[in-house]
Amino acid sequence: MIVIGLLAGIVTGGVAYFIPWLPDQASTQAEEIDGVYWFVAIICAVVFSLVAGVSIYAGWKFRAPADDMDDGSPIHGHTGLEIWWTAVPTVLVVAMSVWSAVALARAETLPDDPDEYTTIEVTAAQFAWSFTYPELERTDGELVLRVNEPVELILTANDVIHAFWVPEFRMKQDAVPGIETRTVITPTKEGSYDVICTELCGPGHPVMRAGVRVLSDADYEAWVAEGEQGAGEGGEGEADGESVFAEAGCGSCHTLADAGSEAEIGPDLDSVVPGQEEQQILTSIVDPNAEISEGYQPNVMPGDYEDRLSEAELDALVAYLVEVAGARR
Amino acid sequence: MSATLHAPAPRRTGIRRWTAGGWLRALWTTPLAFLLATGLVAGARAALGYEPLLAQQPYITTLMVMVPIGFLAGIGAFDYWARYVSGRPTIPDDHASHGAHSWKDYFKVNTDHKVIGTQYVVTTVVFFIVAGLLAMFMRAELAEPGMQYVDPQAYNGLFSVHASLMIFLFIIPAFAGLGNYVIPLMIGAPDMAFPRLNALSFWLLPIAGLMMLSSYFIGAFGAGWTNYAPLAVQQPDGNLMFQMGVQWAGASSIMTALNFLVTIITMRAPGMTFWRMPLLVWANFATSTLVVIATPFVAGSQFFILFDRVLHTNFFDPGGGGYVIAYQHIFWFYSHPAVYIMMLPGFGIVSEVISVFARKPIFGYRLMALSLMAILILGFSVWAHHMFVSGMADWLRVPMMVTTMVIAVPTGIKVFSWLATLWEGRIHFKTPMLFALGFVSMFVIGGLSGVYLGSVPIDIHVSDTYFVVAHIHYVLFGGSLFTIYAGFYYWFPKMTGRMYNETLGKIHFWLTFVGFNATFFPMHWIGTRGMPRRVADYDPMFGNWNMAISIASFALGASTLVFLYNMIVSWRRGEPAPSNPWRALTLEWQVSSPPPIFNFDEIPQVVGSPYEYGVRGARHAILNGKPVQEGREAAPMEETVP
Repeated sequence: MIVIGLLAGIVTGGVAYFIPWLPDQASTQAEEIDGVYWFVAIICAVVFSLVAGVSIYAGWKFRAPADDMDDGSPIHGHTGLEIWWTAVPTVLVVAMSVWSAVALARAETLPDDPDEYTTIEVTAAQFAWSFTYPELERTDGELVLRVNEPVELILTANDVIHAFWVPEFRMKQDAVPGIETRTVITPTKEGSYDVICTELCGPGHPVMRAGVRVLSDADYEAWVAEGEQGAGEGGEGEADGESVFAEAGCGSCHTLADAGSEAEIGPDLDSVVPGQEEQQILTSIVDPNAEISEGYQPNVMPGDYEDRLSEAELDALVAYLVEVAGARR
Repeated sequence: MSATLHAPAPRRTGIRRWTAGGWLRALWTTPLAFLLATGLVAGARAALGYEPLLAQQPYITTLMVMVPIGFLAGIGAFDYWARYVSGRPTIPDDHASHGAHSWKDYFKVNTDHKVIGTQYVVTTVVFFIVAGLLAMFMRAELAEPGMQYVDPQAYNGLFSVHASLMIFLFIIPAFAGLGNYVIPLMIGAPDMAFPRLNALSFWLLPIAGLMMLSSYFIGAFGAGWTNYAPLAVQQPDGNLMFQMGVQWAGASSIMTALNFLVTIITMRAPGMTFWRMPLLVWANFATSTLVVIATPFVAGSQFFILFDRVLHTNFFDPGGGGYVIAYQHIFWFYSHPAVYIMMLPGFGIVSEVISVFARKPIFGYRLMALSLMAILILGFSVWAHHMFVSGMADWLRVPMMVTTMVIAVPTGIKVFSWLATLWEGRIHFKTPMLFALGFVSMFVIGGLSGVYLGSVPIDIHVSDTYFVVAHIHYVLFGGSLFTIYAGFYYWFPKMTGRMYNETLGKIHFWLTFVGFNATFFPMHWIGTRGMPRRVADYDPMFGNWNMAISIASFALGASTLVFLYNMIVSWRRGEPAPSNPWRALTLEWQVSSPPPIFNFDEIPQVVGSPYEYGVRGARHAILNGKPVQEGREAAPMEETVP
């Protein structure tokens, strides 16, 4: 039986060891979480090997011939054994709980000094993310972080529940309409990652993603400077259709060659926009159910863009669409 | 056979055929209810000047309340009570609606717990097949990245209806069906405590199932079976079908649970103390308590969403002061106990099967019963472990993690006791035993991944990914479904009076076991690596794995055909079953297969434990003046044929 148990243990251990179970570790939170993950994994592997070992051994050893009419040994119980298999699991679950609670507390701790971390406001809407950097007075469709600097993300949602998840950071948090939620990330590895929405939020859910870049100090400063320059050029209050398209998340569902988007949830704008009047385009944005393109369903596109975008932004967006997609007239 | 003791109901002729309870009357009462409901809403809207007159939602809601009532009144589910309430003399119960004389009786309102049990089982298998086909469509779409066959909203409809049917129309009622058939027999009772309530609770089921399925005609609900607000409010009108379907299925569940509780508490045969009850009866006792306490919460959660949609209330609309997360608290306060509602009866089945096929007393009987009660109580204190990343109060996470992990202790006691029951047994690997043993190891995997998910930091990473999809399928497929299969094969001889084909049963088990692991085990990996759940499209890096999973899932789907073929052919042409093919000690095996119309010609006298295999001279009960099989002197199979 010990042999079978060991064999089961080796198989389980091999599955655990040789398959790369977890994504890259790119934050201090990932280190904390992976520590618990492997602690629990070892306990589970041992328990499973024990159960598998005993069942296979018992099935092999105590198998009765088909015509056997005898009964087994009338064993009704064994108090000592029952105490052991109540006590040992209790100790194990307490150990796992304590480690988990400590790891959780450490993962979510921010430095006491507010200068040592940044706060970023994350807003989720069907089906796009936007990130506001209050210190930089900047809003972007991409999350940009400085390596080794803790960030506090304050999340909310405009319409339904969404969830913010970057597998390499391990951290996940729902963005909930009506309240603010919070999570903490300290990125440790430069690179590009994806924010993945993990709470079902409607037909665009599978494509609701945004980019994350973790930059070195120098690159981060350069990105900050570029933003300030851009803000200076653009001028106050003037909306730019191309950035409205990006920030409102249109590209999550619609193909538009100029914006580089290739999504297929909604109609391909390069083919439906040509030949449409500006008023017609505006109606399609603010009241998507007014006219549904053939082959598409009503109630898929959110109907609240009139509230989400200002009049100037809507006009800029329509003008942009006419300019880049409506050329075939 | 005593089945002919009571004459079938007199044939009715002329106009009486249309006014007596039955399908002919339902044929006109159902449309009548439809017209009444439509007229009621149209009249009210016109009188109050509501625009537009034909707003869909109020009509759908009213129809889904009134049409089922019209149908139930038509087939005669309320006849006895209607006479009672209106003061007319009730028809003296001639037991005309008791027992089945031909296959047609299975399509009528019948008050015999054995007929109702069979009706339940067959109905739930039909919904199981339908829900399984929906899963096949999902796997076809997921085989390759990108969109191939359906659009994303239709895909969301597929998994939502799949889960709703599997949970509300298959697992929960399949256990209720088996329990319905077996519990009165096991405790030595002639029937359930409330036979007419029992009949009604069955007829609510097809209504709930057809309601959820017909949502496809008006836009299937695509917010998952969890139906989280506010997404649920945005969904097409098919969402109402889910909300009302849950009400009917939930009502059915509550009625059956009350019936089980009263039956178990008041109708045990003389000498059948609680400590002499088979563990299946204990398990259904615990489950029924859970159902009665928890189900009103899911009913409430769906009514609140319904009100938000139809009456424009603001329970979950932050714009009107609502609190989105409140929905999840109410929903999971039912839906976590629901996991145990879908698991405890299975524990009961496995305890019966392992003890009988290992020819040994169940190990640690009292602790087995007590651990069921411990799970029942702890089950109410863990609901928020579904909400670790939801944005609920932070402080709630660690206490809920601890209670969640503690449930592993009573569950572990059960698993270890099943293993110890095998020890020094004489194990017969019949199909029910294979499924029971397959269940133990698969459920352990599901339980251990549950420990992962119970740990808050790990849950933060894997929550809402394919890891969770793998976990729920190890618990509900490797767990619940394996036990349901074990129960179907184990009691098939008793219910149909015929033996199933053992070879086909074993082929079914191995195909299912291998197909199941090949389908669901890799999901742990793709989830941990970064594939979220409930997505119609995914990162191409998971393409190969999804293709492999889809192929395995089609093999798993095909294995169901072996099961269906075996069940249908064996039911029609299988060898006649002896009364006790498994040489079991519990009471249902001491009467003929199928049992006589009132189960026992003479009330049995229970004198000992139901699991005394191998104990010389021990008896469970005395029936018709004869002791029920004594340990080693147990009569061989042939001699027990009546």
